[in-house]
Amino acid sequence: MDARVDKTLRITTPSDFEFAMTRQFDAPRRFVFDAMTKPEYLVRWLGCETLAMPVCEVDLRVGGAYRFVFRSSEGIEHELTGTYREVVRPERLAFGETFSMPGFTSDEYLVISTFIEEAGTTTLTTTIRHPTKEARDGHLNSGIDKGVAPAYDRLAEVVAGMG
Amino acid sequence: MPLDPLSSTFAALADPTRRAILARLALGETSVMELAKPFDMSLPAISKHLKVLEHAGLISRGREAQWRPCRIAPDSFKQVDGWLGNFRRFWDESFNRLDGLLEEMKAEEAAKAPPRSNRKVSNPKVRVTKEKQRGRTRG
Repeated sequence: MDARVDKTLRITTPSDFEFAMTRQFDAPRRFVFDAMTKPEYLVRWLGCETLAMPVCEVDLRVGGAYRFVFRSSEGIEHELTGTYREVVRPERLAFGETFSMPGFTSDEYLVISTFIEEAGTTTLTTTIRHPTKEARDGHLNSGIDKGVAPAYDRLAEVVAGMG
Repeated sequence: MPLDPLSSTFAALADPTRRAILARLALGETSVMELAKPFDMSLPAISKHLKVLEHAGLISRGREAQWRPCRIAPDSFKQVDGWLGNFRRFWDESFNRLDGLLEEMKAEEAAKAPPRSNRKVSNPKVRVTKEKQRGRTRG
């Protein structure tokens, strides 16, 4: 089967406390896993064009910590820190994470990534579980998606059409 | 606690009834009576939701007619839309860059350990491709 790789990022809400991102990659899962866990790779892809990543530290073992700092062009720093809970190369990665920026620090949420490989294509599913629905919605509010507010999405389309 | 404009917008969007009202208004302006129909709610209750939406700048209400038609305020939504896109944009952009990195990782591994079966054939095309790639990875 010529597996066409679907590179669309899909965001869903499997439960009130969670949301999930799914994305396919045209590469074996060991590459995807390494790219997500080794600083020399992470600094090359994680973040937007406009965000520098001055700090990228990873202690990849159960109980080990990581710290990523992003700096915007205005000098505002956003930080992701966490502790690895499960490290099973190349199939599963779980960590507890906290997001912080000036004036705001999130509660810790759990991030579980599974890497499924089929015919050289890797499907990455990342589930992000928050302690409360409010916290999850707050996280997603930086990118509310179809599962969260279908009404809003339709609306956005209509409004966009109104010019 | 004073709310900035986006916070009051999100507070307004957090309620499912209000989102449903907005979805209805996306189809066109209408009256409070019409809006109340699908909901098991009194007119005052619906009016309260409309006030929240109006305060958040998500809808506007006509003054011109007795029935004060409700309609969506498009500018407000544009602002929200820009802000809402951040999470998705962050990961979309990141993953697109990861695609490029993975291609490099694959090429690197292939260069380190060329499969034996391909070697025997000694295909000149393969060599040309590799040289081209090497030349290109300057930056």
